[in-house]
Amino acid sequence: MVVVGTAKNTGKTTAFNALCAVAGRRGIAIAVTSLGRDGEPADALDGEAKPRVRFAAGTLVALPAGLVPRTPALAILESGGPTALGAVVFARAMLPVTCEIGGPPTARAMRSVVRRLTALTDGPVLVDGAIDRIAPLAGGDDAIVLAAGAASGATVSAVAATAAETVARLQLPGRDPSRERARVVAIDGALDAGSAQDLIAHAAGATVVVNDPTRVTVRGALLAALRDAVDLRCERPLRIVACTTSPLGRGVALSAELLVKAVAQATGLPAFDVVSDLAATPMPNGATP
Amino acid sequence: MSIDDVTAARIGDDWLRAAVAPAGAFGRRYDETAPAYGPGDEGRASEEIAECVALAQQLAPAALDRLRGALRAVPEPTPIVVRARAGDVLGDVDFYELARFAGTLDELARLWNDAGGTHERTPTRVERLRSLLAPGRDGDGFYLADAFGSGLRAARAELLRAENDLELQRRSIAERVRETLGVVPPGDEFVVMRDLHPDPLPPELRLVRETPAYRVVTFELQTDARDGGFARVAAAEEAARRELSSRIAAEHDDVIAATRALGALDHVLARAAFVQRWGGCVPEFASAIAFEDGILAPLAEQLAARGRRYTPLTLELPGVAVLTGPNMGGKSAALATTGFLCACAALGIPPPARAARLPLLERIVWLGGDDSARQTRLLSSYADEVVRARDVLATASARCLILVDEFARTTGPREGRALLIALLEALRSRGAFALAATHFDGVAEAAKVTHLRIAGLSVATFAALDARDLDAALDAINAAMDYRIVAAEAPDSASDALALAELLGFDRTVVARARALYERPADEPPARG
Repeated sequence: MVVVGTAKNTGKTTAFNALCAVAGRRGIAIAVTSLGRDGEPADALDGEAKPRVRFAAGTLVALPAGLVPRTPALAILESGGPTALGAVVFARAMLPVTCEIGGPPTARAMRSVVRRLTALTDGPVLVDGAIDRIAPLAGGDDAIVLAAGAASGATVSAVAATAAETVARLQLPGRDPSRERARVVAIDGALDAGSAQDLIAHAAGATVVVNDPTRVTVRGALLAALRDAVDLRCERPLRIVACTTSPLGRGVALSAELLVKAVAQATGLPAFDVVSDLAATPMPNGATP
Repeated sequence: MSIDDVTAARIGDDWLRAAVAPAGAFGRRYDETAPAYGPGDEGRASEEIAECVALAQQLAPAALDRLRGALRAVPEPTPIVVRARAGDVLGDVDFYELARFAGTLDELARLWNDAGGTHERTPTRVERLRSLLAPGRDGDGFYLADAFGSGLRAARAELLRAENDLELQRRSIAERVRETLGVVPPGDEFVVMRDLHPDPLPPELRLVRETPAYRVVTFELQTDARDGGFARVAAAEEAARRELSSRIAAEHDDVIAATRALGALDHVLARAAFVQRWGGCVPEFASAIAFEDGILAPLAEQLAARGRRYTPLTLELPGVAVLTGPNMGGKSAALATTGFLCACAALGIPPPARAARLPLLERIVWLGGDDSARQTRLLSSYADEVVRARDVLATASARCLILVDEFARTTGPREGRALLIALLEALRSRGAFALAATHFDGVAEAAKVTHLRIAGLSVATFAALDARDLDAALDAINAAMDYRIVAAEAPDSASDALALAELLGFDRTVVARARALYERPADEPPARG
């Protein structure tokens, strides 16, 4: 399961910690890693305090050697490929531990780390992710949780709209030969604004296939126009299962209840506020419970 | 031994070094510090080469592959023990890597014994290092176990108790929150809505942030015991690491010695693998160059990749010799083979030959022939050759091998021939080894040096050939060519140039006219019309 955010400071690590805590309460052994670098006390860019990452005893963790905490000591199980902070180390927490986590720099290496964690544990693998780095996880059966928060919009509707657009973009359907149009256009690489305009002009009605949803870099009205014009699909789909919401942003405080309902309705996915203990599911008629 | 870049490329020295590259980092480091053998090193060179040959015979190829694979996987302990000796307190990943290093050496020793390796080369083990780290070994992993420090067990138990107490506090506060506010806190931090709970917060909650609609609060936990416990665990773990690091520092020399022994083993196993692939002999070191069935391995590899067969060469070069023979007969390959086998000996690599008598040389130089690198320079081909020849002559000695490939072919033939003869006379007078391939007639006789020639095209076979495409022509030439080197019985240097031109599809009427011109007596005037 991978947690990604619609923007920075949208509650991704808080949601990640909540998942770890739930697993701990239920006695489920988990394995964790990160697609970037998470759990540092303050944001490296803006100095804002950030939630720490804390694991229960028994948690399996993949992290760079340079981030292995001195105390309490981890049991080092094995080491793997390189990262900027040393080799990836697979370790087990022997006591509850707070530490930073990170992962390898390439998609291939991340796939390898997740595979290894899966082999080393009986429980689920949780990945503190990054929306621009989830391509390596496409095509598998990994579940993705999208963290949406006030950091991505000043109003409830703006946050919900951003979440909805992100979900729509990442939930690109997989290729289905039985439903393909007569003309199929395969896009090798990114589908950007220029290629979107070309496709609208010259490939209307065709099935357009990208490698995975992260290759679609076009946004907003142009993306909507493209999806109206062509049957947009991908070779390796992503599976987004839920959203989390964070009503607090820098100088912004939204209604937690309204936000969780709006995000659920806009994305069509169950939404949770793990701090306020709120949940909402989308209703067919537009209402939410 | 000195070999310049041009020569290294021509005789396959670059290929050779890559072919005997060790599998692991220790072997590569060993290679970097192992100089080539030179005059006076015959005993040591012979010993190393003999060991390579013996290992190649002794170890099954699969076992040799396994050993080299294990050498490739040995982790690098050097920076860790260097840091320990400098006084650093090592980390748990360092201990893990050192434990892995010790374990890999045990595995290597086991593989070595299983393969029937000699006692003398049995991979060194680092028993004391392994024993030091043994309490932390759990399978293949490492944990700074309680056994590493007297206070560790107690400190960790205390921390665990404090963590459990903290958890009880959390549950207790959560229960009070549920009772007083009707909220089930999802974690330490949660939201209290103002409209539902306008009253002051319970004392167990601390305000983190507030808005007109709600307050973000967190549990007010009594963490002193946990923080103190954490500090005591931190101190005990660091003390254990410091003690272990200090003991590891004392193993520095043994660990470094073990890596050197691994490097030497990797070095010799790479050469043994080379022998298993290409064959190799223990040469007799002498002031002569002679070999039977010598193989220019890089050429043999290229030919094999194209489905062609390589013909091993036999050659005796007492000092200076001229090599003549047909185009495409392998004159340049014979020069390269001679240099390649001498380079093998100098590097302690068994020369791929059935038998060999070779000197340990100070220098091998290639002179002449095509060199695309030269074309970017300002000097003409001829000028470049002359400059190289000038430098060669200035330092030529009895410990030099000069491989002369069609020297002076780009200048006037009379003057070129004269210059080549004079060059060979000069090299002979300096006692150097030299083998000169040329199409000039009578050079060996004029320079009073040995005349060898490539046996050449078999006329009987050749007559039956009628190749119409280049591949077929090359196959035909290969089949018709006798690549053996034999003593020349006549001073001319027949090149079979006209026959080869015809075989390569050159216009037959033009070839016929050329043949008529070639066979006409020298004093007959050219025909008119």
